[in-house]
Amino acid sequence: MAIECSYYTEPVDTTDLPRRFLEAFAAILAHSNYAPVLDAACRISTRCGRCASTCPVYQASDDPRDIPCKRTELLLQVYRRYFTPGGALKARLGKAFELDERHINTMAEEFYRCTACRRCKLECPMGIDHGLITHLGRWILGEVAIVPKALRVATREQLDGKTRNTSAIPAAALIDTCEFLEEDCADTLGLKIKFPIDQENQEYVFFPAVSDYLLEPDTLTGNAAVMTATGGSWTIGTHYFDGINYGLFYSDRMLHRIVRMEAEEVRRLKAEKVLIGECGHASRSAKAFIRTFCGGDKAPPVVNCMEYALDMVRQGKLRLKKGAIDARVTYHDPCNVARSGWIIEQPREILRHICTEYVDMTPKGKENYCCGGGGGTVSIDEIREFRTGIGGKTKADQLRRTDATIVVAPCANCKKQLREVCEDHGLEHAQVVGLHDLILKAIEPPDSMRVEQQSEQEDEARAGEMEKER
Amino acid sequence: MIESWIDLARGPLFRISLGILVLGLAYRFGVVLVQVVAAWRRAGDRRLPTGAVAAATLGWLLPKRLLRARPLYSVASFSFHVGIILVPLFLVGHVALLRGYLPRDWPRLDPLLADVLTLVCVVALGSLLIGRTMSPTARALSKTQDVAIVAMLLLLVLSGFFASHPMLSPLGARTMLLVHMLVGNLALVLTPMTKIVHCVLYPLTQLVFELGWHFPAETGEHVAVALNKEGEPV
Repeated sequence: MAIECSYYTEPVDTTDLPRRFLEAFAAILAHSNYAPVLDAACRISTRCGRCASTCPVYQASDDPRDIPCKRTELLLQVYRRYFTPGGALKARLGKAFELDERHINTMAEEFYRCTACRRCKLECPMGIDHGLITHLGRWILGEVAIVPKALRVATREQLDGKTRNTSAIPAAALIDTCEFLEEDCADTLGLKIKFPIDQENQEYVFFPAVSDYLLEPDTLTGNAAVMTATGGSWTIGTHYFDGINYGLFYSDRMLHRIVRMEAEEVRRLKAEKVLIGECGHASRSAKAFIRTFCGGDKAPPVVNCMEYALDMVRQGKLRLKKGAIDARVTYHDPCNVARSGWIIEQPREILRHICTEYVDMTPKGKENYCCGGGGGTVSIDEIREFRTGIGGKTKADQLRRTDATIVVAPCANCKKQLREVCEDHGLEHAQVVGLHDLILKAIEPPDSMRVEQQSEQEDEARAGEMEKER
Repeated sequence: MIESWIDLARGPLFRISLGILVLGLAYRFGVVLVQVVAAWRRAGDRRLPTGAVAAATLGWLLPKRLLRARPLYSVASFSFHVGIILVPLFLVGHVALLRGYLPRDWPRLDPLLADVLTLVCVVALGSLLIGRTMSPTARALSKTQDVAIVAMLLLLVLSGFFASHPMLSPLGARTMLLVHMLVGNLALVLTPMTKIVHCVLYPLTQLVFELGWHFPAETGEHVAVALNKEGEPV
């Protein structure tokens, strides 16, 4: 039987698939902290259904297979049968569940219907983290090559390809893009910004979602404007410049390799810290896992660009025009930075200052609803109908209630998904942008950043030199 | 005849059941504690958000947190838990049965309050049983164990109530007492073996799932070696 999912995979060898799945499962259990998690889930799950009441996917689909607890049970069944004494005993008595290709196919489908937003964890009195169990299930599937093709191909380019990034941007093209953005900013905004490349001994090395270089020039220009205006000590490395980490969505092995490349680039450039651009999963994977995989306390600290911007505002180094954005604006919390409570108020503090009318969605912050494209599903174009119709329905309803014309989503994945959600739910009037897109419009640049000022200064200097020569 | 059964149920059977309960719960708690320490020691990042873990653990003990979703279910669940914890431990008859195991000054529930708690517990368990069997979401999730445990506890609480209120009992009080004792012993034995074990594991569960995200630093490399995938392209 071939593996058939609603997403494309590369060809899957189904020879002896259940045995290979179990071997991968056993190897992962032996070298990770997942066994206690599964043990606890098996023992304490009361199947009370609270997770069902908070899952946006189940709320929209009304399909029992989307109940987080039920999806978790798919993996627990395998764990109980093959990795617990009770399962072994039942098997001897001849009454046990047997893993087969059909069950693996079911897991392959259902683990990617989850957006890994982890909202259900907040509603579980026992603290069962269905997102973590789905994460594990995806890893095991990944070890038998069952991975959405979009994620695997991008990760292959990032880890084994020539360009070492998920968008396959050569370093030369990156440099060209940065120079173009500098010139464009000078021409259109009259602002002189800098994208420092490969400068050693800076404080930060900057890793945005690399797709921003292709798709989000305003966000990147905003990032560079903030760094330039505040005199930030930063650089972009040409050996590695991608914040994206699809390992977070399908394999701890890949997650591990990708964050190590970030840390290596920081080391190569003799920098101190990692600065992540506007991207939820890039921020979380760096913040949570660079420490894990790159030396604990010795690992470079990770800062998100929104934290940096607010810090500069508070220090008075970044001045933003009050009420510069004359529109009704709302903010979408990317799950990967908000669920833990890490980044919730920072962008709001900035938005309340620069927008004439800021409105929040309900619920928000830690309890926000996912955009529907979380867990890497946004990259899987072939499931768009499910992704926006089911996964994004709750978010579309939330957006509609705010009546906002600008939706700020500081995450490359959320932005793509929300634009498609708006298209598919009749919300075309809402413009989806990044926080730094608006900061760029609201910035009160220091004189040194103004092109005219620069030109005048340069003219004066030139005139002085000419006089001296005379 | 029935008296000798009652003597058996409250004598040797009770002591055996109590022994299984205590040893079983201690074993389960001990295993999880050892797992937690081992996972923390293996973790590449040992910093834990202890405040958030503690807040989540304590928060769920309060009805305010529970009532935010599925309010009817939550009221039933909370009421049931209050009764099922307080009555077995503090009812005068139970304290007498546990004499020798509990301190002399162990508090006792006022009999009227115990009756109220018991009746609330009956209503709550009945509601939970109806919810389990009638709600499509709950039916999709539930296993036999989920329904059987609620039914067992309902029988336990009802038989206890009738045993202490013979005038209301549909069967003889001594029969009800025997049923109560036998079902009670069964509940004690099943506690460490079923999901009721959350009564002792609860303080550790939020921590266990938090630790799940704290991967060992070499996990990827070790798994690659175990699966002969070192150096294999993505």
